Amino acid sequence: FSAEDEINLLVIVVDVNPIWWGQQAQREPELTLSKCLDAVMVLGNSHMAMTRTNKLAVIASHCQDSHFLYPNKNWRGGDNGGEDASSSGDGKYELLSVANNLIAEEIRNVMTKKVEGRQTFLLSSLIMLSNWHGVSYRYLLMLPFLFSVGQEIKSRILVVKAAEDCARQYMNFMNVIFAAQKQNILIDACVLDSDSGLLQQACDITGGLYLKIPQKIALAQYLLWVFLPDSEQRSQLVLPPPAHVDYRAACFCHRNLIEIGYVCSVCLSIFCNFSPICTTCETAFKIQLPQMVKPKKKKLKQST
Amino acid sequence: MASLSEEVLLVVKKVRQRKQDGTLYLMAERIAWGPEGKDRFTVSHLYADIRCQKISPDGKAKIQLQLILHTGESTTFHFSNESSALKDRDAAKELLQQLLPKFKKKANKELEEKNRMLQEDPVLFQLYKDLVVSQVISADEFWANRLGDMNNSDPTPYNNKQDVGISGAFLADIRPQTDGCNGLRYNLTADIIESIFRTYPAVKQKYGENVPHNLTEKEFWTRFFQSHYFHRDRINTGTQDIFSECAKQDEKGLKSMVVQGVKNPLVDLLSLEDKTLDEGYGVSTTTPSTSNANRTVKESSNAAIIKRFNHHSAMVLAAGSRKGQAAQMGTRGILTSSSLLLNPFFSLAIEYEDLQRENRLKTVALNLKKSDRYAHGPVPLQSQHYTTSQDIINSVNHIRHEMVNYKPNLTQVLSSTAASSAITALSPGGVLMMTGTQQAINQMIPTEVQGELKHLYAAAGELLRHFWSCFPVNSPFLEEKVMKMKTNLERFQMTKLCPFQEKIQRQYLSTNLTGHLEEMLQTAYSKFHVWQTRRMLRKT
Repeated sequence: FSAEDEINLLVIVVDVNPIWWGQQAQREPELTLSKCLDAVMVLGNSHMAMTRTNKLAVIASHCQDSHFLYPNKNWRGGDNGGEDASSSGDGKYELLSVANNLIAEEIRNVMTKKVEGRQTFLLSSLIMLSNWHGVSYRYLLMLPFLFSVGQEIKSRILVVKAAEDCARQYMNFMNVIFAAQKQNILIDACVLDSDSGLLQQACDITGGLYLKIPQKIALAQYLLWVFLPDSEQRSQLVLPPPAHVDYRAACFCHRNLIEIGYVCSVCLSIFCNFSPICTTCETAFKIQLPQMVKPKKKKLKQST
Repeated sequence: MASLSEEVLLVVKKVRQRKQDGTLYLMAERIAWGPEGKDRFTVSHLYADIRCQKISPDGKAKIQLQLILHTGESTTFHFSNESSALKDRDAAKELLQQLLPKFKKKANKELEEKNRMLQEDPVLFQLYKDLVVSQVISADEFWANRLGDMNNSDPTPYNNKQDVGISGAFLADIRPQTDGCNGLRYNLTADIIESIFRTYPAVKQKYGENVPHNLTEKEFWTRFFQSHYFHRDRINTGTQDIFSECAKQDEKGLKSMVVQGVKNPLVDLLSLEDKTLDEGYGVSTTTPSTSNANRTVKESSNAAIIKRFNHHSAMVLAAGSRKGQAAQMGTRGILTSSSLLLNPFFSLAIEYEDLQRENRLKTVALNLKKSDRYAHGPVPLQSQHYTTSQDIINSVNHIRHEMVNYKPNLTQVLSSTAASSAITALSPGGVLMMTGTQQAINQMIPTEVQGELKHLYAAAGELLRHFWSCFPVNSPFLEEKVMKMKTNLERFQMTKLCPFQEKIQRQYLSTNLTGHLEEMLQTAYSKFHVWQTRRMLRKT
């Protein structure tokens, strides 16, 4: 089948946590949320401009929910989006200007909406991590039905992340990662501030790229250089090598990352120290402690 | 002179050796020759040292016997008794023929064993080369631990022989050939004979009774093949055949087998038999099947063939399981019923779930008290930053304010300086590409060097193992050994490790490959030193 039949879908998930971005605007005014969105738009436009059959979706991930910025309910779809699109007047490919306008409009709506509920958010409450994943994943699942039969869709997800991880959504997140792996959907991550172990795992497992960028103002360049090529093209390019992922488990008692621990054979919970009763399933265990070493030690040579 | 306890097996007079007259003595463990009139032996060889013997061809005038030793030397004895030289020589030769193999095995066995071990294990072979050939330790020390108690134990455990089973077609394989004039040639090999004996113990018994007293082996087998016992359509006509008894015994055996029934349900053809009056192999119950009453000749001969086949198969199976029955049941391909029923494949075929009684196993429910622990990721529970609510409100307002008038400005997204610095970081050698250049060590070192290093480790490990096993030193033997091992280690370091180090230095390999080896040797030296000083202190 020719490359024209293949549809490459890029889903960009942008972390628009207002608390982080608000503080960021005061910390480093060079990269504001507006600039970030501009960069994302540039990437989206480039992706759509590469091939006619490339598709784009942009999702904004807010504190408690996510929103599709593009395509959204205002999008008529197809080629007649040009009617209500205010043409930018610079001869741009219409699809791109339509997309940009839709994204801009929607993000304005999202960010200016009154935030309901408690105003006291913790910075680390990026609860959306699972929500947007769920949303985007469901979108990806629906896609084969939106297009005609016989068209292959290759999709990948790019996460532009600003704030920190939330550990409470760990299980959902891991499930989504494994589902994506099964469906051959790559998850890439472009991290602005602090490293995220979850995203590192996601990228490692699905075969995507994880990058923490050193200069935020050059975000657009990084996006275009590293994340624009799709997986086939990446094999021909020299890109940053994959980082070492810390797969260590965390003990259930302190949440420390441990290399050697004790695992309850009944409920499989992990502990860093031996305790005679498993606190999760209340099973009692006996363990043979090593014999007391006599004072005059025998030095046994370990052979190589 | 011979010790009084040695048993003399044969004395041959008038045997010349090196143009001297003398007497040849064959003893229990050695062969010796002494000159005429003298008391002592000038030539004495242990049978173990003799590799082989040679005799002069029959036509030659001189009747000689030559002994070739393992070392390559040879000794020749000339039998010079005018009347009985040939007989003497032959007697000596026969005796030697019987004795030599016994001793040969013991001598070579060790060497063979050593060779076999070296051939089978390339690591051991390399170790041997590294340590013994280069004279770091002596061969005896090397083999000291490995041969173990081989010399003391029975040779049979080292034979590793497997029991040979019996081919079901061994009789058919004999394949008689016509020898041109109305006769048949049967080729019997030792294997076939053994199979026959194992399958039909009655025949073995007969063989034992009749050979070699009454019949030669050849005659026995001729009679066997001629007998009606062997032939297909045997009808027990009661001829005066030594095998008629075997036939009768077979009948008895078959009957008893039949009475026992078939233990193995899956080789059982019972289920196919409708009219089973007997346990399955025949139709008649009371009269033995060889009775010709009420039967046509054809029927009875058919029955006889079938009976023979069944008997043959049963005997073959029984012979196979007869030996080592307890240990080998279920593993020799003879499926016992118990092992079969455990086999899941067969139990699936013969068992139906809904026909069986319901026996649910008692299960214990998993009782989780704090199941939310599983859902928590590896991120520690404590959160890093806290912000005041005022901060949060400020940030949110700020953002809202910023985004109210958001308009994409795509021409001003990136400055060229920012872009070029990003590109530099992403190019090979840049900040983000650094981790890729760290090559694994095994890609930087050539394979021969790696191989040599492995050998060094194996050799050092062996020496160190000997060294450390000496501690705690509580016997003079261990003291000696520990000191010897230390010198061995030093010698190893000098002869093997240092040249290797120099070699890799010459190749400009900067990685420290031998650091760990040196550390191990150093630990050994310091331990020795400590032990030595303590010993000195104790003595003073």
